[in-house]
Amino acid sequence: MANTVIGSTIVIDGEISGDEGLVVHGTVKGKIDLAEKIEVAQGGVVEATIAARVVTVHGVVAGDIHASERADLRPESQVIGDIRSPRVLIADGAIFKGSVDMGNGG
Amino acid sequence: MVAPAMNPSHCLIGLRMTVRGALVGEEDLVVEGRVEGNITLSGHLLIAEGGVVESDVEVESADIHGHVIGDVAAAVAITIHPGASVHGNLRAPRIVIEDGAHFKGGVDMDVDLPEGLQRARGR
Repeated sequence: MANTVIGSTIVIDGEISGDEGLVVHGTVKGKIDLAEKIEVAQGGVVEATIAARVVTVHGVVAGDIHASERADLRPESQVIGDIRSPRVLIADGAIFKGSVDMGNGG
Repeated sequence: MVAPAMNPSHCLIGLRMTVRGALVGEEDLVVEGRVEGNITLSGHLLIAEGGVVESDVEVESADIHGHVIGDVAAAVAITIHPGASVHGNLRAPRIVIEDGAHFKGGVDMDVDLPEGLQRARGR
């Protein structure tokens, strides 16, 4: 599957939408709306509301995350915002401030 | 150029992706999808076949195979390849429009005109 990659020196101020995978090494401010996976790589900074199927964070996210399948906060990640997803994983070492809503499934 | 695809910071806007807003950076960018917002790069911009850019572009150099509506300014060179379509003004020291490309707009190569030509224009 083709992937969109936002390089480490790139800053996007606005909105990204689409239905393929996205990897963020750089900075995105605004809004991200995907039907697929997003990975915020180590060093990546997202100051945006994220809606995607699977959200994996190694870097920094300031904004709410809505993952229709899974939100995965990896050990190095820093997240400030609310997470809404049926499956939320917070790894040991991750820094998180916000609320988690796994819905009524559990 | 050694395998740019292996570069971890290689930047690509994929086929089924849309970016609305300003995009700023210091590296090369490949657009296969759609960008609606200004692009400012100190690197090379490649607009692939099928890629659409509806905005002003300011880059080091640009190769256009796709569709651009907006002004393109490059510090080094702009090449419009066969099959590409560009509506807007071009500004760069070197501009190439290849056979089969569609272009509508102004071209400014910022040249020192030969004396004779300059006098002719002055009239």
